[in-house]
Amino acid sequence: MSGLKRVGLTIDGLKVQAAEGTSILKAAEQAGVVIPHFCYHPALEIEGNCRMCVVEIEGLPKLEPSCSALVREGLVVRTSTERVREARKDVLAFLLAEHPLDCPICDKAGECRLQDYYDRHGLTASRMVEPRERREKKLAIGRGLILDRERCVLCTRCVRFLRQMPGTGELGVFERGLRSEVGIFEDAPVDNGYSGNLVDICPVGAITAEDFRFKTRAWFLARKPSVCPHCGRGCAVTVESVSGYPLAKGERRVYRITARENPAVNGFWICDLGRDGRRDIDEGRHARLMKAGVPVAGLSWQTALADVAAAIRTVPGPERSAGIAVVLNGRLTCEELALAKRLFVAGLGLSKVYFADRKPGSADGLLLTAERLPNGRGVLEAGFAPRLPALDEIAAADVLLVFGPYLSEHLAEEALAKAWAGIPSKFLFSAHEGPLDRLADIVFPVAVPAEKSGTYINVDGTRQTFAQAVKPAAGVAAESAILAGLANLLALDAGGGDAR
Amino acid sequence: MIKAWLVVKELLRGAGITSRHFFVNMTFHTLRLFGIKTKRRGAVTIQYPEERKELSPRHRSLHRIRPRDDGRPSCVACMLCVTVCPSECISVEAAEDPDPEVQKVPAKFVVDLNRCCFCGFCVEACPVDAIRMDTGEIRLASKTRAGLEARLDKP
Repeated sequence: MSGLKRVGLTIDGLKVQAAEGTSILKAAEQAGVVIPHFCYHPALEIEGNCRMCVVEIEGLPKLEPSCSALVREGLVVRTSTERVREARKDVLAFLLAEHPLDCPICDKAGECRLQDYYDRHGLTASRMVEPRERREKKLAIGRGLILDRERCVLCTRCVRFLRQMPGTGELGVFERGLRSEVGIFEDAPVDNGYSGNLVDICPVGAITAEDFRFKTRAWFLARKPSVCPHCGRGCAVTVESVSGYPLAKGERRVYRITARENPAVNGFWICDLGRDGRRDIDEGRHARLMKAGVPVAGLSWQTALADVAAAIRTVPGPERSAGIAVVLNGRLTCEELALAKRLFVAGLGLSKVYFADRKPGSADGLLLTAERLPNGRGVLEAGFAPRLPALDEIAAADVLLVFGPYLSEHLAEEALAKAWAGIPSKFLFSAHEGPLDRLADIVFPVAVPAEKSGTYINVDGTRQTFAQAVKPAAGVAAESAILAGLANLLALDAGGGDAR
Repeated sequence: MIKAWLVVKELLRGAGITSRHFFVNMTFHTLRLFGIKTKRRGAVTIQYPEERKELSPRHRSLHRIRPRDDGRPSCVACMLCVTVCPSECISVEAAEDPDPEVQKVPAKFVVDLNRCCFCGFCVEACPVDAIRMDTGEIRLASKTRAGLEARLDKP
């Protein structure tokens, strides 16, 4: 766009410069003037059917939809004149004439455009005396999506999204006029890896997700940015969680993960695998330290870490290179990998540093990559040559430190158990429960990426730094804290990192 | 000497007030007995808990969930009461209802009376007029904390 000619126009008295070919709505948004809209979405083709975004353009007799009207030199646009406000009111009145107003049971309530715009631009009493049209309230359209046709405002964002982004086009608008409704073609439900985005882009509560259905209300959610750790793309996501009230004191739950805009990586979308990542944060987690396969209460990881340091000290300096094996993973942040490099390779002089990660899946050609680890490039950048350990390489060690539960995905459980039985000291640092738990002497519960801050480098080499999105449970530590603590205990240089 | 006199003076004053109440109330009771001045009543001691005074219609007592015609709770678990509650004492869990006209029902509706301040905001916030505080139940003592957790979704 930057190569295009820029034109000057006036929006609400503001002198605005915009690239040629930009819509008035977009130009206004860039200038900080918000124009309400339902059907317009920056990533989808313009449809102009909701008429919510109409503005007054000097010299034109009628109001123009600002999403499809392009900027021209010298245009004078007014977005909040009496005429425009009346038009918006009428649009809302017509939409609400058929809307069921079941906000109390609607999952979209609190983040619904119709609610917000009615509050801001409507506030008229209904003039309808006829009963509302009854339609399908709960129609499963596939992939855990539920369509409520009464709530639908026919903006066709969903239809356009499916045609454009995954290109599958499962949804269409059927019938005409009053009877028009969004639906699936016979026996062909929505089935693609990006279906979750429909819930995000639906401006009202017409398409909702089964997974989020009735779980909580939108206004309770704390929304924090993070980076998706489920494939090499590193999409920008928002982690939406509740801590404490209305849950029990001290309880925390991640209710959903939604797409966050990042034009450099994922645009506006995320795949369903990443969206399902909320389970990764909340389900199957280690809540406390485990010793010999049994959870121990009242033992902090700091105390237990002394055992790890003691085990490492039993191996004399010259034998460490062969006697201590470490298995890292590509879910560690760049900072943690640098720390691991400093501690294990530079500090302890280990040569047996391996990597075990999720098995690669299949790429879908859009966002999802075959590689299912978020920081594969970070591992290379930290100076590691990632290699899966062979069984006998592990079995030969005296001390084994394993980060992540992924080793069991690559090696058979019985063989692993046999190999581990011969190792005097073995420690597991894992966020999730797995078959390795009962094999390790001590299992340290560690944080998942959403609970950490750090940097990931995605498959395209884009470096993304993220902050902690949700607080980990008490007693759960990030690997960075564990590595720094271990360096402290072994009196090694952790590179200025503190043990926290 | 002066101190002792002050005590006696206050004693007499107190006795005066008590007697005044007695004679004023006695007068009104007597007048009422003869059908004069029936509007104004003399003070009466109510023998609580054997005797109960009638509560004002707007009195806020223990909460209840108004039932639907078929007896199920009329609450739709919208959690507006949970949102508005200043003492954070309401906890609601929603469940799916097979009836598409109802869809959302409370699976759990608990008011923690340990925390409740009986402000009545939940009643005002309710969009379907499901929660009310008109049971007239004011004896809410319990020996345990759990005993003060009112489960409202079950009759």
